[in-house]
Amino acid sequence: MATKEEILKELAEGVVEYDEDQVKEAAQKALDEGIDPLEAIMDGLAAGMEEVGRLYDSNEYFVPEVLMCADALYAGLDILRPHVPKTNESKGAVVIGTVQGDVHDIGKNLVKMMFDVGGFDVYDLGRDVPLEKFVEEQLRTDSEIVAMSAMMTTTMLGMKKVIQMIKEKNPNVAIMLGGAPVTKDVATLFGADGYAESAGNAVSEAIKMIGRLRELRTQDAQKEAQ
Amino acid sequence: MAELTSRERVQRLFRREPVDTMPCFSGMGMVTVQAIQKMGIRFPQVHTSAENMAGSAMTSAEIFGFDSVVIPYDMCTVAEALGRGTTLYEESEDILYPTVPNKWETLEEVEIPDDYLTRARMPMVDEAFKILLSEADKDGRFAVGAWVLGPFTFAGQIIELGLLLKGVKKDKERVESFLGKLTDLTIDVARHYQDLGVDYITIREMGSGTDLLSPRMWKTLIQPNLTRIFEALSIPKVNHICGSTDMIVEMMNQCGANAVSVDQKNNIAESRKKLGNDVLLFGNFDPYGTLCQMDASEVEGVIKGCIDAGVDAVWPGCDLWPDVKKENVEAFVRTVKEYGRKPSPAVGRLG
Repeated sequence: MATKEEILKELAEGVVEYDEDQVKEAAQKALDEGIDPLEAIMDGLAAGMEEVGRLYDSNEYFVPEVLMCADALYAGLDILRPHVPKTNESKGAVVIGTVQGDVHDIGKNLVKMMFDVGGFDVYDLGRDVPLEKFVEEQLRTDSEIVAMSAMMTTTMLGMKKVIQMIKEKNPNVAIMLGGAPVTKDVATLFGADGYAESAGNAVSEAIKMIGRLRELRTQDAQKEAQ
Repeated sequence: MAELTSRERVQRLFRREPVDTMPCFSGMGMVTVQAIQKMGIRFPQVHTSAENMAGSAMTSAEIFGFDSVVIPYDMCTVAEALGRGTTLYEESEDILYPTVPNKWETLEEVEIPDDYLTRARMPMVDEAFKILLSEADKDGRFAVGAWVLGPFTFAGQIIELGLLLKGVKKDKERVESFLGKLTDLTIDVARHYQDLGVDYITIREMGSGTDLLSPRMWKTLIQPNLTRIFEALSIPKVNHICGSTDMIVEMMNQCGANAVSVDQKNNIAESRKKLGNDVLLFGNFDPYGTLCQMDASEVEGVIKGCIDAGVDAVWPGCDLWPDVKKENVEAFVRTVKEYGRKPSPAVGRLG
């Protein structure tokens, strides 16, 4: 019988080695052995993705590898997520999409993965999304976060309009921008709250956010124990 | 001696013959809102009529003194001719470039019709080239540039990029063979523009920088195809890649183009050291930041920075974002022409 540590390691390694079968098997084993599914997600799958981030930052992995690691992570998430107790489930809601005029969605999908891992309710509008749709969807879902991506300079100006429209209606919504042409200056200028630079940086940023989610979870667990 | 015409200046630069001053030109779109407004048209209209496409290119060059005109402006013309459609965003108040709405789901579904060069907007683009070339032939007031996407970038236009990127690891042979077919297509389109008589052509393999692919993958998957494309062309050709290129710039140079062009992410001074002074190197300012955002007084410093770092022509890292500030573009052109009077590493100056 495998120990919890061994199963978590199998999950993490499966993600790093983009071995979907290994991840699926380990995820099922985690459930069979009664391991807390949220722990399996955070300390298995997400921990593996953090290692992927390190490999990416050190130029050992590039986007093709990261995309395959993400597939492996989702293979495990699909098995484990339905077993996370509802009370622990939603951390909040996020509307995500690439803005009108932009059909590139790799960065967006990686950021989406971070929210999926974190247990957010994710409303994915896809790509080439008309600007008003972000506003409508935020109002419909009452999401706390709106995340937009534009890979091309030519589409990022649309983001500014969306931010204005959303902030007018609901100033408390947190807005994240990502995409190759969006610099921190542009994000600040447009009034956004968060920023990730490119598909490349989206990888690093999304993974760092996973790391922060894991830290928060550890802190929560420590508080509960006290 | 008499000043060169714009066309002569560009042609001589590619032959690495001395010029009077650095030409102010690009291998990517240089259409501006000032030209569109002057013509009384809207941005979506520059993509669908030969007169508007050629007219907006010429008017932009005239207003600002660019030494070249470059068409088409959008990246969908060939994909559209393969039946993938195009979204023009005609209702949008903003400037949005056309995109390809319908990608193929799998490699097996991809079909390339024999007559795609005569389909959709391809004949209209030809007509626009003919207008530009007949004007250039009259007085040489601009050089005429064409561009074609490289096979990997084009593949991302017609099939899901994620599928392609994963395919290069999981299904390498099939992806390689697919990219080989698209290399043939790139050669056909580029040769077609060469036959029309354009002065130079830029192959934009923009989606292949090391933001996405490893240098090793670039060497096996991208370099052989680009080499084959450049071998097949006889006019001056430029190998342009945007994004991270520091790790691949030497391999880019080995592909056989007349010039290498990189964007603002590249460390040009380092690239110049790697390539030596016998290679035409173009780049590398951020067109949006420099021409749309910055205060006009800062532009000169950016352009001088490119020249001092060792470029032979100051090229924007991408298409100009059309909504440029007039005074910024004026500063860009003025600085290139004045500060570019001194020789660049690979090109001398007329005495």
